[in-house]
Amino acid sequence: MADAACLPAPARRFNPWPAVIFIALAVLALLFLAPTAGVLLSSIKTTRDIALGQLWTIPSELFWGNYAEVLGNPAVHRYFLNTALVTAPATVASIALGSLAGYVFAKLPFRGSNLLFLVIVSGMFFPPQVILIPLFRLFNAMDLIDTLYPIIVIHTAMGIPICTLLMRNFFATVPNALREAAILEGANEWQVLTRVALPLSLPALAVLATLQFTWIWNDFLWPLIFTQSDEKRTIMLGIVNLQGQYSVAWGVQGSLSLIASLPTLVVFLFFQRYFIKGMTMGAVKG
Amino acid sequence: MAELALHGVSKRFGSVLAVDGVDLEIAHGEFVVLVGPSGCGKSTLLRMISGLESVSEGRIAIGGRDVTDVAPARRGVAMVFQSYALFPHMTAAQNIGFGLRLAKVPKAEIARRVNEVAATLQIEELLGRYPRELSGGQRQRVAIGRSIIRDPRVFLFDEPLSNLDAALRVRMRLEIARLRDRLDATMVYVTHDQTEAMTLADRIVVLDRGRIEQVGAPGALYDAPANRFVAGFIGAPAMNFIPAAIEAGEGGEPQVRFGPVTLPAGRLHDAASGPVTLGVRPEHLSIATGAEADFRGRVEIVEKLGAESLAYLQTEFSTEPVTIRIPEQPVVRPGDEVGVRVARERFHLFGETGAVL
Repeated sequence: MADAACLPAPARRFNPWPAVIFIALAVLALLFLAPTAGVLLSSIKTTRDIALGQLWTIPSELFWGNYAEVLGNPAVHRYFLNTALVTAPATVASIALGSLAGYVFAKLPFRGSNLLFLVIVSGMFFPPQVILIPLFRLFNAMDLIDTLYPIIVIHTAMGIPICTLLMRNFFATVPNALREAAILEGANEWQVLTRVALPLSLPALAVLATLQFTWIWNDFLWPLIFTQSDEKRTIMLGIVNLQGQYSVAWGVQGSLSLIASLPTLVVFLFFQRYFIKGMTMGAVKG
Repeated sequence: MAELALHGVSKRFGSVLAVDGVDLEIAHGEFVVLVGPSGCGKSTLLRMISGLESVSEGRIAIGGRDVTDVAPARRGVAMVFQSYALFPHMTAAQNIGFGLRLAKVPKAEIARRVNEVAATLQIEELLGRYPRELSGGQRQRVAIGRSIIRDPRVFLFDEPLSNLDAALRVRMRLEIARLRDRLDATMVYVTHDQTEAMTLADRIVVLDRGRIEQVGAPGALYDAPANRFVAGFIGAPAMNFIPAAIEAGEGGEPQVRFGPVTLPAGRLHDAASGPVTLGVRPEHLSIATGAEADFRGRVEIVEKLGAESLAYLQTEFSTEPVTIRIPEQPVVRPGDEVGVRVARERFHLFGETGAVL
């Protein structure tokens, strides 16, 4: 050991790659954060400051007028309410239906269930534009245009494939012996699902809740197609609606954009610990 | 009346016949162990008794009631799984009381019975812990607690000790034996560990390829195996099988010949002559000298087990090594040439079909 300690250390060659990777990642991070920073800066400046081309400067004084205007606007309250009325039921319904389907595919397979599973999952690969016109005609015939129902139904239906896929894969990791033990204790399949399988699937449920909530909350397309009046618009359309007739109210739009993103941020933070666990599930043994 | 009766029970998975026409009656309070090699159908049979697996043919009765088509929870059975199958999100107390909660038993009553069961199994201090906070043996006790609390007619154990280390397995085996005395319950226990089978069972059912090969008390199976399969399966180390033949001796009495050795086959008065297999357990062979020795062999390997050793001998009449159980003395070493004596009346002869002669 002593001899080894006396040996001259091998000459270290400069390895530039860690530095290059670090710089590349830092630049990417800046590019990624720049729009958010721009929105944040615009939300705390007056329209005059922005019009003078001072978007990227740090303001000497914070201007909260944009937030006051947005939060005091009754139309914004309506947008929030409409978005919540769409997001909450569609998130819950898609996860509930996906869980039921996933449980059957994972624990109660039947003849042809694999094929049916593939058919359901293939729904994920349909571009919305393909079904846009048929759906519009369908809901128009049902006299549901300019209501929130089509949006709820479509988000529920479009969420089922991903929810089924994820829940089926998660339920498959729940040992069959647990289901059998519960059945021997007197549980029916519904009780096995609600008392054993679902409590063990909180990570998957958290992932789905976050994904579905974010996707539905931020959706622009379907509300644009199926709502017409300002009374039925959701928050993403509301941001566009706040644009002035002759000029763009950058500050107001910026502040509403940030406020509109808060619920998704809260949902993410709430489910975060489950979310990370869910995204990495099955990655390592144990 | 049998507590548990199986009449012509079969199970088919597609074209595979996993259990083939099993008839078995188990009395109240009896501890029956199903043993057999992997894939012999023992776990499938247990799962059919529990109701987790449907019956392809035949009937199952528990307490005189036909339960063949009855839901698992209504059969009056409880099962302890190999993997314990404890619900990870519930504490030990919640696991034990799960069935009672489903049955909507009042909370106070559940708590009282959980505590009672915990006292029986000496796990009172573990009731608040989650399965992940318990050792293997503690988990197994909780799993047993969950099965006890519903006061079932029949307990089913599916290799409950196979996930435990050797020392813990011995301890848990003792605990199950005590539990069985305390509960006076009917128990069906599946294992591939014949020590468990021999030590716990009132009767052992040896299965092979879905069929019952022999049913009997552990001693009976050891002393009088019905066929070569049972003889080879029961007993550790396994019985030696040596190709032999029966022939008439000088006085006309039957003799067993293997290689240059002849032994009197006194029990086989009317047996047909011809090729047979001689089966003799390692403990029924002993080192002998001079005229006492029936045959000689060269020691190939010696396994020291502490109080005794196992010696594997190469002989001129068998391609397989012959195993001998040797007490502390005499000491033998690899390479030694030793004489061996076969204990008279302790060997078995099997015909060409494998059945004992």
